[in-house]
Amino acid sequence: MTIQLKHILIVGLTALSFTSCKLETIEDPNNPSIGSVTHNATKGQLQTLITGVESRSRGYLSTTANALGTFGREIWYFNSSDARFVQVWTGQTVKVPDANFYSVGSIYASPYQTIKQANVLLEAADNTQAINEQERFAIRGFAKTIQGYQYIIPANALYTNGIRIDVADESNPGPFVSYEEALQAIRKILDEGYADLQKAGTTFPFKLTAGFNGFNTPAGLGKVNRALAARVAIYQKDWTAALNYLKDSFLDPNQSFDLGPSHVYGGPPDTFNPLFYVLNASVSSIGAVHPSLLTDAIPGDKRVEAKFFKRSSPLVNTVGTVPLSSDYQDKRWATNSSPIPFIRNEELILIKAEAEAQLAHWDNSIESINQVRAKAGIGAYTGAKSKDALITEILFQRRYSLWYEPSGHRWVDLRRYNRLNEIPVDLDKGTVFEKLERPLSEWNWDDYVSK
Amino acid sequence: MRKRVYLAILLSGLAGLPMSLVAQSGSPITGKIIAKSDGQPLAGATITSKSGKSVIKADKDGNYTINAQSGDFLIIKNVGYLSREIPLTGNGFQLIELEADITKLDEVVVTGLASGVKRSNLANAVTSLNAKDITGTVPPQTVDNTLFGKLPGANVRINSGAPGGGVSIQLRGISTLQGASQPLYIIDGVYLNNNTLQTGRSAVSGAGATNQDDAANRIADLNPEDIENIEILKGSSASAIYGTRANAGVIIITTKKGKAGRTKISFEQDAGFATIQRYMGSAPWDEQKINTYFPESRRQIELERLKSAQGKTYDFEKIFFGETPLLLASKLSLSGGNERTQFFVSGALNKEDGIMKNTGFDRRSIRANIDHKLNDRVSFSLNSNYLNSNTDRGFTGNQNNTGASIGYNIAYLPNYYNPFPDEQGNYPDSPYSLAQNPLAVRDKGINNVKINRVIEAASLKVKLFENSNSSLDFAAQGGIDFLSSNSLIYLPEDLQYQRNQANPGDVIIGRENNFNGNFQAFLVHKLNSGGFSFHTQVGSVYLTTERNLLFNRGRGLIAGQKNLTQAAVQSVYQHYDEKVKDYGVVAQHELNYKDIVIGTVGVRFDKSTLNGDANKFYVFPKASLATNLAKLPGWQSETVSQLKLRGAYGQTGGLASFGATYTALSPTVIGGLVGSQLSSVAGNRAIKPERAGELELGADIGFFNNRLLLEATWYNKNVSDLIQDLNLAGASGISTKKVNAADLRNRGVELALSGTPVQQENIRWSSRVLFWSNRTKITRLDVPSYLSGSYGATFGTYLYKEGYSPTTIVGNPQISPGVYTVWGDSQPDFQSSWFNDITLYKNFSLSFLLHWKKGGDVLNITLYNTDNGGTTKDWNEDYNNDGVPNGKDRPGKGTAGVYVQNADFVRLREAGLSYTIPKAYLKQVTKGKIENIRLGVSANNLFTFTKYKGYDPEASNFGTTAINTGTDLFQYPSSKRILFQLKVDF
Repeated sequence: MTIQLKHILIVGLTALSFTSCKLETIEDPNNPSIGSVTHNATKGQLQTLITGVESRSRGYLSTTANALGTFGREIWYFNSSDARFVQVWTGQTVKVPDANFYSVGSIYASPYQTIKQANVLLEAADNTQAINEQERFAIRGFAKTIQGYQYIIPANALYTNGIRIDVADESNPGPFVSYEEALQAIRKILDEGYADLQKAGTTFPFKLTAGFNGFNTPAGLGKVNRALAARVAIYQKDWTAALNYLKDSFLDPNQSFDLGPSHVYGGPPDTFNPLFYVLNASVSSIGAVHPSLLTDAIPGDKRVEAKFFKRSSPLVNTVGTVPLSSDYQDKRWATNSSPIPFIRNEELILIKAEAEAQLAHWDNSIESINQVRAKAGIGAYTGAKSKDALITEILFQRRYSLWYEPSGHRWVDLRRYNRLNEIPVDLDKGTVFEKLERPLSEWNWDDYVSK
Repeated sequence: MRKRVYLAILLSGLAGLPMSLVAQSGSPITGKIIAKSDGQPLAGATITSKSGKSVIKADKDGNYTINAQSGDFLIIKNVGYLSREIPLTGNGFQLIELEADITKLDEVVVTGLASGVKRSNLANAVTSLNAKDITGTVPPQTVDNTLFGKLPGANVRINSGAPGGGVSIQLRGISTLQGASQPLYIIDGVYLNNNTLQTGRSAVSGAGATNQDDAANRIADLNPEDIENIEILKGSSASAIYGTRANAGVIIITTKKGKAGRTKISFEQDAGFATIQRYMGSAPWDEQKINTYFPESRRQIELERLKSAQGKTYDFEKIFFGETPLLLASKLSLSGGNERTQFFVSGALNKEDGIMKNTGFDRRSIRANIDHKLNDRVSFSLNSNYLNSNTDRGFTGNQNNTGASIGYNIAYLPNYYNPFPDEQGNYPDSPYSLAQNPLAVRDKGINNVKINRVIEAASLKVKLFENSNSSLDFAAQGGIDFLSSNSLIYLPEDLQYQRNQANPGDVIIGRENNFNGNFQAFLVHKLNSGGFSFHTQVGSVYLTTERNLLFNRGRGLIAGQKNLTQAAVQSVYQHYDEKVKDYGVVAQHELNYKDIVIGTVGVRFDKSTLNGDANKFYVFPKASLATNLAKLPGWQSETVSQLKLRGAYGQTGGLASFGATYTALSPTVIGGLVGSQLSSVAGNRAIKPERAGELELGADIGFFNNRLLLEATWYNKNVSDLIQDLNLAGASGISTKKVNAADLRNRGVELALSGTPVQQENIRWSSRVLFWSNRTKITRLDVPSYLSGSYGATFGTYLYKEGYSPTTIVGNPQISPGVYTVWGDSQPDFQSSWFNDITLYKNFSLSFLLHWKKGGDVLNITLYNTDNGGTTKDWNEDYNNDGVPNGKDRPGKGTAGVYVQNADFVRLREAGLSYTIPKAYLKQVTKGKIENIRLGVSANNLFTFTKYKGYDPEASNFGTTAINTGTDLFQYPSSKRILFQLKVDF
């Protein structure tokens, strides 16, 4: 036994000589870390975070436009590779959206990613000496304006299910608040952003893409901020506030109706315009114009001509439970790198018309309506000067003026006026949804925290 | 491992001459030892006189001379054969026949990093496959394809039927909830890369993430013919000594070695064919169906198409999957050497095309294994292997909108549609749902992967000290596995879908290099004292892995061009680097008392840069005890020849995936500006390895001189600190954060009954029955319960919830927010297999392997698509007589229960019949130039009995993943292979 112990000792000592090997942490060879920007960020790093905010801020677009567009039957989102886009989104099978509803996750997740990214930017701007106070206000004003816009998206999708507003700490998110409270909070964020922009001097210390051309100064972005606030105000039925916000916005009936900020697109490494399809393309996935848009149109409406392209062969959907067909596809995008506006002069004119009508300023309202009708080439408004008639008219004009825009206006508009039953489902035998359910991750999280 | 090498060298060195190891007494007795099965001499068999005076080895012709007294007994032993005890009745020449031992009790099993243990002394149920098990019945296409039904405790499933491999192996249940839960592979001491390398197919076909590329895991590169032995350490109790990477078990592959003596040349030629296992069939079309299936706007033109087809229909399954490709394999090996140097050199060429045109798998392999003994103290070996494979797997599986999946595409084609090109070679456009002519995709699309791979294994052994009862060895071992992959995915600009894009034509060219390098050094001490033997090893191990990949994409291609510079839009599709280092220290001590009691304790300390703290050691202990009761001095039973009770406990680790510690800012480009955006996944600098602790208990009972052996094993494997994605509230803006937050338990039984029921002059039948079952349960989940996997709740997805198995399938309808209906479980209730090997008249050999899987559900999303396409075989029928055809009924139900389907099967995995030309006749005819000629015919997967209606009840769309298996979505259909073999030994 003694021999054995001796040998074990030799063996053990020799082995110890191997143990001096120290392993150093290997840093991420592929990406910078978040820690590199939250403290002492350079101006260059702040710029990359700002560009990150702008890039994230378009992430919601394609799903939101296609899903909400389908909910409001502005389009059908044909996707022959996966029948669920038609079957589930038109409510042929699931009649009430559930927590794991098919392929709508990014309507919720993507805006919150943008909000988080903007919060990281705010934190980075607060914790660096690389910029002065005025520059800091510029960054804050930008971040909060974008945040305000992004909050609107889940708020409208979930409607009375409510959303979370306080999301600064990812491990401790604040409670769900009602739709009304959410809108109130969004207005507050926009107001704060607007106030920050007022203190931000005359030029931005950072670059935005061409999507903000004409709005890439504190004053210019302030006008976008006020336009978004006006949109929120009409959701709140705060008509006076809407008109006040419009005064400081870029509303101008004499300018192009398309005036407004955009999400920009391009070839790789950028992202292609997700709504672009080659005209007459024989493809299996495309947003098809809902046939009711054509049958309900006033003859000669230039918007029909400008937005709907009549195909040589119809778009056909044979998947799902009911066969569907549409002769028209979206014509708005010239190329796969065309920018997509997210709030336009034309919408602001219609917001004005609506707020004026609600405040019984019939002539002001009709003036705005006629600006839109004149552009569309369908003659002046001849209907009654009553709230009901004017709202019907405004909703009709919004249907064509704001067709298939990223915010899914038609569905939201009809819901605002309790007219969801006007959504045509006779062709697809589907269901009209009122709102999306809170996502599963939220149920699970609350469940988890309560334990 | 070293011990095995040495044993081989020692035996081969001694084989040439009878040599006494101990002083002999008595008078010389001569004899010859041969194998009972084929009469071949057994060189190197040991002959001991029972009085203990003499030990001798048979020479190369099996002859021996031993000094012994009449009345004594001779004990004859040879590895791989049952031992015999022969009474000495006179001085005459004795011809002694040994019976093959299918239980392999004497075989040395490699269990430690620098040592092995005799199977009869093992404390674990280690499954061992030798060359005959691997390639004996049917020459396999790839190594992973040989394991079906042969490993109790393993859930082996094929991902698709595409040529070139792609098989998932899970040992004793699920060992991790993320990643692949695949075992660690070691070949001749080298850490083998078994990654599934992405190709980019999913991007070009629109399928989505890279896990839908249908790429093979790279174990497929190995040449099965080079393998001498595969040992499977199934659980932590057996694999503890491999430490931090061994949670899912370890598969140890040992390649063939040369033996001293005449140079042996062996040549084998296989030729055969493959056919699809089964067709699904499709529903016919008529006027009435067109009028309900198509919208008004299309009915007229479809009716015209039906009419103009004049009753001609197209069977798309036969058109696309109906090929009977030629399968060819040529294998040559040379082995031999002298006492000091031995070599094994081999080359192999495999060429197997697929059942779909333009698909196939070619492999070329060349190997040289050299062993050299410098002097009595120092020896070394070098095993070199170069492998080259070239795989075309075509376009199958998932796709989105591109039509670039053959099965998916034809699911939407009515059978009166003619997809064939006209005389000018123009393919007609498809007017149907996927808007792509599938023939054009098959004929013009390219999905090619070329692999170049070098595996080098070297070892050095130095005897530092040796005396009569103890020794001290230094053993070093190391090697590299370098793998370079070139992939090309190409859909030309003139395909229908491409023509309808802004930038027609799409190519992704990928380059990926993987490097594994490892080194280990051990001191091994042996001591024999008073019936006890002690075996101690201490050493350290080091591993480094690197992965570098660059994938580029070109869209908008000049006609017919694949070069990236010919593209209008050129982009970097992916650029990714990975580097990992592991370091460990190992100590193991084994005690053996006369083979009656064998106890082992060991510990491994490991650190890795994949842990949050790269420099922290994690400790993985083990202990085991085996007792051979039948070897107790008083054991009398004639019936029970072996009775071993065994128990083992050990711990192992599972590392986080690369990147789990990083919270990255990922790059984004918008409008010409480059930005950083916060990744949706947050890293965790406190992440630690997953840890499995397994208790294994078992009994091995041999009857009738071990002609019948029962091995029974029960295990309980707890895996703790499982790495989870903490799904944050969606509103937090970050989806997930890596945390150690779950435990699970695998509990199961493994039974193996093997024996030789018939052993007569002209018929020998050996048989093996295996049965195994595993249950998994999440015992702790400190993150919110969640659903993950497949395509969501519509068709079924997996539930991760405390108290449930993560293989639980749930889906629509929703019961309450977030709570879904339970529809099934993808884990089988049990599996069983039955192997038989029958030899008739010594020259005919028949063997077959049946495999039965009971339970285990599949998510049949193929059905959802064929229903939507109007082509499911029973689409037109109306089972519930509601006036709505099945094909419209099923998708309209809104329940996942329609798609979660039972996938029981009984499958004839392997069957082979061979004939060996009688040796004496051959010797006479060829004047001794040819030693052996064997002719054979064999088949894989000849029959499958299943109620499942898809191509294969085993299909798995997402490749090798821990949980997300069992999604059937137009995988490449599985085939049966039928091969004719000719083997000649010179």
